[in-house]
Amino acid sequence: MAELSLKQAVKKYGNVQVVHGVDLEVEDGDFCVFVGPSGCGKSTLLRMIAGLEETSDGRMTIGGRDVTHMDPAKRGVSMVFQTYALYPHMTVRENMSFGLKIGKTPKAEIAKKVDEAARILKLTDYMDRKPKALSGGQRQRVAIGRAIVRQPDVFLFDEPLSNLDAELRVEMRVEIAKLHKQLGATMIYVTHDQVEAMTMADKIVVLRDGRIEQAGSPAKLYDDPDNLFVAGFIGSPRMNFFDATVMSTDNGQTMVSVPRLGDAPLPVQVTQALVRGQQVKVGLRPEHFAADGAMQASLDIDVIENLGGVSYAYSSFEGEAHPVIVELRGAARPSKGGRLTVSFDPSAALVFDDDSGVRIR
Amino acid sequence: MSLTETQTTARAHTGPDWDFITRRAKSILVHGIVLALVGIMLLPLIYMVMMSFKTSTEIAQDPLGLPDSLYWGNYMAALSSMGYVRSVLNSLGITLSVIVVVVFAGAMAAYPLARLQNRTSRVIVMIMALGLATPNFVTITPIYVIFRDIGLLDSYLGIVLAFAALKLPLAVFFYTSFIAAIPMELEEAARLDNCNNWQIFWHVIRPLLAPVTATLSLFVMIMVWNDFIYPLLLLTDKDKLTVMIAVYKFVGNTGIDPTKLFPAAVLGSLPLLLMFAVFQRKIMAGATAGAVK
Repeated sequence: MAELSLKQAVKKYGNVQVVHGVDLEVEDGDFCVFVGPSGCGKSTLLRMIAGLEETSDGRMTIGGRDVTHMDPAKRGVSMVFQTYALYPHMTVRENMSFGLKIGKTPKAEIAKKVDEAARILKLTDYMDRKPKALSGGQRQRVAIGRAIVRQPDVFLFDEPLSNLDAELRVEMRVEIAKLHKQLGATMIYVTHDQVEAMTMADKIVVLRDGRIEQAGSPAKLYDDPDNLFVAGFIGSPRMNFFDATVMSTDNGQTMVSVPRLGDAPLPVQVTQALVRGQQVKVGLRPEHFAADGAMQASLDIDVIENLGGVSYAYSSFEGEAHPVIVELRGAARPSKGGRLTVSFDPSAALVFDDDSGVRIR
Repeated sequence: MSLTETQTTARAHTGPDWDFITRRAKSILVHGIVLALVGIMLLPLIYMVMMSFKTSTEIAQDPLGLPDSLYWGNYMAALSSMGYVRSVLNSLGITLSVIVVVVFAGAMAAYPLARLQNRTSRVIVMIMALGLATPNFVTITPIYVIFRDIGLLDSYLGIVLAFAALKLPLAVFFYTSFIAAIPMELEEAARLDNCNNWQIFWHVIRPLLAPVTATLSLFVMIMVWNDFIYPLLLLTDKDKLTVMIAVYKFVGNTGIDPTKLFPAAVLGSLPLLLMFAVFQRKIMAGATAGAVK
């Protein structure tokens, strides 16, 4: 196991730059998740770490060794691919032992490592089967087993659960989390699913257009996002954003007006100096609306999503890109087409610069 | 609800089911056409086998009629005068050698061509296409002259090299398209498993080529086994002649000897038919590989 460090890592395809000077530190034993929308560069960054993509500029170290231009096999990494990439003509045992065989590891040692990995992944009964005779979940386990037997410094996962059905995905998510705990290995995991990121990660790296928007613990990113993009991307359903205008900044208390939530001025917790009349965005998560709170707002509800324990009320307004989403718990659930009065605590509201999207703290 | 169902059922039995009859008629028609086509294709084969069992008198009196009995004397005579075993072994040796060379060289040439998507690889593929499109007769003279100059005339090595060169473009085409469909992730996984390019080809790509190799081998086998011109031109030693040249011995300058020519033709085709029958399943699997996921 080892820590990973990227310093100003750049990836260019000809004149097109897709990864822009990424700086990242992943601690030894961390489960780090790269998350972001399609085309944000998360898989490219993972492939750069694996050595499957040449790093155009910058430096990369694993366990203190400079691996920037090193062969993939010498970096001490193992990768689990989205498509599993199992060798179809080999049995499960052959798939798992192939890398060690190529590396001329003694047969007895190969057998020991493979059997141990099979035991951990509950694959013992399937060792003589070929991949086509396995289910999706079993194939995924074999792919993980193939990674485990090499005892790498860093495990790399490239959207490993995206080909599984919803139920199996949850199951495998738990399995991988358990495995991480059991092995104590450094793992880097790419996903576009922020639920996976939130549930599995010690550290989440949010990427957009080949740049890191923010990196930190799931709680940090959820509660204290650096910008509108991270605030909107982390959390499901997404955070509500409201256009607002700074009304006053007297005695260190900033008041903003949020027309969508009524006429009452909203006190927000910011220490940065704002100018009266400045346009800002105010963010409130759906669960920040509650039965009791210092402020109240009235919303026309056009859709109710009932998920059993919780419901989500959607309130659309002409000209708005996204509807306002309110989380509802308890017995009182409004009907579709009704008007809902909700309360919220203004201290939960986050403020962002209207132009740059940067958080105003 | 139940009353309506009864009425519907009763109505269905009042007249003929025209849909069923039309479907049945179409099916019979289609099968009839297919059978007729198969019959037309088999006709020369049937004629050849039929003629091989006729005596010279029967052939002279009724060339299109069935033989009165299965006369094996023609086969005995053909076998004793054509050097059958020797010529079959020659054909077999040459054909298998060509297949081995074409399969290995073709697969190894196709691997980089399938993976390198640059101008050079595209130009090479185009040159291969030209090789495929060039008629065999165009290359006969240059091959003869070159082989004469380097002393490869009348040698097994020469005929194998000539056939291998002629069939290589076909192999490269077969393999290039097949390898291009193999997911890159398999190679990347192998690279992470410490494989170099050769090991990736040998341990990962090559085993996956089995179905397409079976199909390619069949095509090459048929073409080489049945080829007449190149062995006729490049081989003169009677101990090195292929079975098709041996069959041609019964076509003289002034006439043919049908009592020997037809059994010889059957005997010449027999090994090929047997091999096809044995490997048929693998060959068909290769021919349809990639059609569905």
